[in-house]
Amino acid sequence: MAFTLYSLIQAAILCVNAVAVLHEERFLSKVGWGADQGIGGFGDEPGIKSQLLNLVRSVRTVMRVPLIIVNSVCIVLLLLFG
Amino acid sequence: MDYSEAQTGFRQQPKVRMRNQAIDTAMDPSQLFEDTSTGARSGGYRGQETAGAGYPTQALLSEPMSNLAMAYGSSLASQGKEMVDKNLDRFIPISKLKYYFAVDTVYVGKKLGLLVFPYMHQNWEVSYQQDTPVAPRFDINAPDLYIPAMAFITYILVAGLALGTQNRFTPEILGMQASSALVWLIIEVLATLLSLYLVTVNTDLTTIDLIAFSGYKYVGMIVGVVSGLLFGRTGYYLMLLWCCASIFVFMIRTLRLKILSEAAAEGVLVRGTKNQLRMYLTMAIAAAQPVFMYWLTFHLVR
Repeated sequence: MAFTLYSLIQAAILCVNAVAVLHEERFLSKVGWGADQGIGGFGDEPGIKSQLLNLVRSVRTVMRVPLIIVNSVCIVLLLLFG
Repeated sequence: MDYSEAQTGFRQQPKVRMRNQAIDTAMDPSQLFEDTSTGARSGGYRGQETAGAGYPTQALLSEPMSNLAMAYGSSLASQGKEMVDKNLDRFIPISKLKYYFAVDTVYVGKKLGLLVFPYMHQNWEVSYQQDTPVAPRFDINAPDLYIPAMAFITYILVAGLALGTQNRFTPEILGMQASSALVWLIIEVLATLLSLYLVTVNTDLTTIDLIAFSGYKYVGMIVGVVSGLLFGRTGYYLMLLWCCASIFVFMIRTLRLKILSEAAAEGVLVRGTKNQLRMYLTMAIAAAQPVFMYWLTFHLVR
């Protein structure tokens, strides 16, 4: 029951880490989720898969530097305060 | 030469301001509140234009320099205020938030009635006036934030009361309840935003709209918990069931118009995976409400 803002922040950091760690060539292209797959033709509305791939790629691009900072702060805080 | 006019304008300001306001409110019926912050400013420069005709020169001989300084100072202050407003508006859309709180008693009463008994309501369309939605005061279908905010606070207080009747109350528990309810609200809104993005819905639903719609369920939760306090566990289940069904119907009828494409919302059958997905999404958002309602209240009643 005690699901507080603190655990939400923790969960958000872990989820963003999980998305950002997906590697384009080593993992995604082998599962069939590569950059050139799942993208429809011109004028097609993008499907769920391409939207998802787009989101993953954007998260990886945007969050790389902030994640380094946030993760190191997290590590230090957790080491200090348990 | 010119500052004599500026001065009379400054003297005349209160009168002009009143007149301007009357004109403004008469001309602009879609204005949400009487905006007193702009009145002084517009009075200032409009006063300068209309000044020369009204007052003769007797007023300006008194203390011209101090009057001028005051006029200059007030113009500086209004400039600074404008700048603060603009920068604040970039981070928090205050002008948009004002729309969501433009309610009155009649609207709140009608909307609460609609939340508890939505079955007889016919027209669910949000009405527009020149591309901007009408304020909630004039349109019962418009989403507002007043009811969700107040219901959220009331829910926390009622939860405290319910726990108090079972001798389980501690002061921290209010904070825990608030934090937990807030977290579930955030998760729900984020999940809805993500699924709207994945299905690529072209909709005018904003994040604030989604917060408003997911905040309406607190009304049903309050009704359930209060009846649980009064009539015991059976009353709680009966009222919660009723409120769950009502909020389900309410959400489906409201969101259908926003998420489905126009043709499908009118009732015409549109084939295609896209529309099916959108329909499932609408159903899922509506079906999530009873789950949250039960999850957030079941531990309060015994």
